[in-house]
Amino acid sequence: MKLYAYCLCADLETLATPVSGVSGAAVRILKIDDTSVVVSDCDTVPATHENMLVHAAVVRSVFEQTTTVPFRFGTLANEQQLRSFIAGHKAAIAKKLAHLGDRVEMDLKIVWQHQTSRPDQPEEAAGPGTAFLRQKRRELLGDDQAVAHRKELSSLLREDLGDLIKDEEMNLQLSETTVLGKVFHLVETLEIQDYRDRISEIPGKRPELAVEVSGPWPPYSFANIDLEFGSQFGVS
Amino acid sequence: MNDVDQLIISEEFENTDVSLLETLDHVLNRGLVIAGEITISVADIDLIFVGLNVLISSVETAHEVLGKRETE
Repeated sequence: MKLYAYCLCADLETLATPVSGVSGAAVRILKIDDTSVVVSDCDTVPATHENMLVHAAVVRSVFEQTTTVPFRFGTLANEQQLRSFIAGHKAAIAKKLAHLGDRVEMDLKIVWQHQTSRPDQPEEAAGPGTAFLRQKRRELLGDDQAVAHRKELSSLLREDLGDLIKDEEMNLQLSETTVLGKVFHLVETLEIQDYRDRISEIPGKRPELAVEVSGPWPPYSFANIDLEFGSQFGVS
Repeated sequence: MNDVDQLIISEEFENTDVSLLETLDHVLNRGLVIAGEITISVADIDLIFVGLNVLISSVETAHEVLGKRETE
């Protein structure tokens, strides 16, 4: 029997609120060293609308109780895989839990009216080899313009939100006149209201920036641990 | 997490207005990935097997491959 994993958390003995798991399976806590993994016993998990919402509900329920590192929907592994993952990433998990402790994720949808500059001269015509290498470079380093916009937006938001931002991730889409995107902030639980208040002031100060906030969320966007995925499970 | 934080989070969750789409975006696109496999179903018919970050194939092919792996 495989285990469907919802989230990792620090030492958790019991769930404060009983919740039902994916496909109606019971939710239980698997203790591995100092880490608790919230799991259900099941062999397959259909990606149904209902199961996705159940995953979110279980993670949210645990998050209301303790610091949580949510797994992405669909994490199905055997107990040995989970044990070896946790044993192999003990320090990284402890560091991640400490970083996420007493903090929540707040998400911003951004529409930024911003003239994006295009290079004066288009890239000179190149053969397929050069084009391939340029594409690889962009994949590895990111589009230069996107990187510049990310820095600029991050700097604007930090001017307005200051040290309320404990960590930040963003995902931007550029057009010639507009930057659309999502920005994810890790915020202290005690500062959620301050964060909302400062966000509500942004449209008055920056008419070019439309912002919509949602949250608090369990820290899905800050959950990833630097994994040696290939060596862990033999997959690249 | 202390009691005050728990209370704030519980209250915030009760007051929050998060859309279904955002919830699905979080559970499907974010979160820790260590391994995974899901089956995408429509109207109770299994259509696609997805190995997270690994492969996308038909259910039939995936079962075939996994069956072979287990017998090896």
